[in-house]
Amino acid sequence: MKPKPYVPYLLVLPALAILVAMLYPFLTGAWWSFTSYRLNRGDPSFNGGENYLDLLTTPDGLHAIGTTLFYAVTVVIIEVIAGVGLAMLLNYGPYGNAFRLLIVLPLLLPPVIAALMWKVMLTENGVVNWLLESMGQQRLLWLNGPDSALWSVILIDVWIFTPFVVLLAQAGLRSVPQELQEASAVDGAGPIRNFVSVTLPMLMPILIVIIAFRGIDSLKMFDIIYTTTKGGPVNATTNLHVLGYLEGIRNLNFGASMAALIVLWLLCYLISYFLLKARRKDSVG
Amino acid sequence: MSTQIDNRAIPARQNRTMGHRAIVARRNRKKRVKHGIVIAVLTAWTIFALAPITWIFLMSLKTPGDIVSYPPKFIFTPTIDNYIVIFSGSEFLMPFMNSLIVTIGALLLTLVIGLPTAYALARFNFRGRENIAFGILSLRFAPELLIILPLYLIFQKVGLNDNYLGLILAYQLVTLPMLVWMLRSFIEDLPVELEEAVALDGGSRWTAFRHVLFRLIAPGLGASLMLSFIWAWNQYTLPLVLSGKNTQVITTGIQQYIAYQSIEWGPMAAATVVSMIPGILFAVFSLRWIVGGLTAGTVKG
Repeated sequence: MKPKPYVPYLLVLPALAILVAMLYPFLTGAWWSFTSYRLNRGDPSFNGGENYLDLLTTPDGLHAIGTTLFYAVTVVIIEVIAGVGLAMLLNYGPYGNAFRLLIVLPLLLPPVIAALMWKVMLTENGVVNWLLESMGQQRLLWLNGPDSALWSVILIDVWIFTPFVVLLAQAGLRSVPQELQEASAVDGAGPIRNFVSVTLPMLMPILIVIIAFRGIDSLKMFDIIYTTTKGGPVNATTNLHVLGYLEGIRNLNFGASMAALIVLWLLCYLISYFLLKARRKDSVG
Repeated sequence: MSTQIDNRAIPARQNRTMGHRAIVARRNRKKRVKHGIVIAVLTAWTIFALAPITWIFLMSLKTPGDIVSYPPKFIFTPTIDNYIVIFSGSEFLMPFMNSLIVTIGALLLTLVIGLPTAYALARFNFRGRENIAFGILSLRFAPELLIILPLYLIFQKVGLNDNYLGLILAYQLVTLPMLVWMLRSFIEDLPVELEEAVALDGGSRWTAFRHVLFRLIAPGLGASLMLSFIWAWNQYTLPLVLSGKNTQVITTGIQQYIAYQSIEWGPMAAATVVSMIPGILFAVFSLRWIVGGLTAGTVKG
């Protein structure tokens, strides 16, 4: 079966066409990020790295970068710990399949819808504040408080996406041979030791995938934040993706918008690059 | 899947001593306590996961008065008025239909483009292969707005704004990378020998694909399509920018119930409940399938 050399190219041609079609707006956007382009105000004119300089020196720009990183790191840490923990419990305990079906449901709703549901529950007179009051606690401002808004959004993210970690971690745990754990238990290792030196290394390949996917998706989180707070109050929940939207659609300042999005893209690209590298090393070694 | 050993399956030894029995009993008791703790933790998370969904469902059955009452009402006379409202006007039905059209259209296009691509990436060795594969995957990792905002202006020029075809094209950004990457892994996991056997018998590559490979990847293909469906259905950023009055989809359409003046809580809750249905159906029917599919698509065992 000696194929003609052009066959594979012919097969990937349609996908390449899509890739090029998407590359064009991407490059256009990259060009705009170096211009002072405002919609309906003439053509883009090159202004050096001014947009980037603004982003990296003004409090608003730095705040957006900080929010992006803080959100992503916090969300990944919480979700990986909770998700791997739940996956282990599901594999260990009884009724695993039934529990999984219920636990996984939030992941299958559109994140926007899930965010709306939480917004409804977190209003001033909402059911969550009622719960707090009936337990003798103070009401909280949740999404409306400058200090609590970001944590509220993180809570929603954890609610939606922890099941994603559960599903992948469960699949990864199945590839850990039972005999290995039993062997180390026979050798006198406690459950914690067992987890650290047997389960964790075996889980590493899938953990890399989980961290990369969740990392990238939370770096570029838009849906939850925009539906619940639109980046507010003031700019408490404005990350780079939301900033890009607000600058572009609300202020029609496409130059600044694209600069924010390019910086975000660089962050995502770095992670996916390291992921692929780690994964390749993993499957070879 | 289940690696637990059923104790009853082990034939009881006749000369089992009392001491042995006591050990077994103690071990069982310990195990039961452990299981109890596990069930308690899992139940706690399940309550956390289901409470919001339950609350919105209850809300969708309430009258406007019951919805705003404080303390919140857990016991009330249910009404289906909210569902009547959303199903009698076009406010909800149109976005729902649009979501179906765009999602299914995007999936069909992804299938036609993605299947040959995944096959070529898995079975041929050609120059630039890894670069093409990475290029396709990088679509998934780019911030959507970076591509969508310029695309919006381009679409405006060529008349693809607020247009099904435009949305379907843009949705490839979400559906194509995942389908290609998952399918590629599925195909790579199948032995080449099967296809070579067909070739030995004088069959062409196409025959081998059609009669052997396609049948074997069918479950994986189903799983990938299902996942892509959910991803496309849940998409928000793309339609937020690219769809106008005529092509509003469900995720953007639901926001109509939140006006500046007032929020129509009841219809919004009812619309929320209905828009959850595809995801829940999906969970019930194909979750078990997906776990295998996800792993095959993301990690190589």
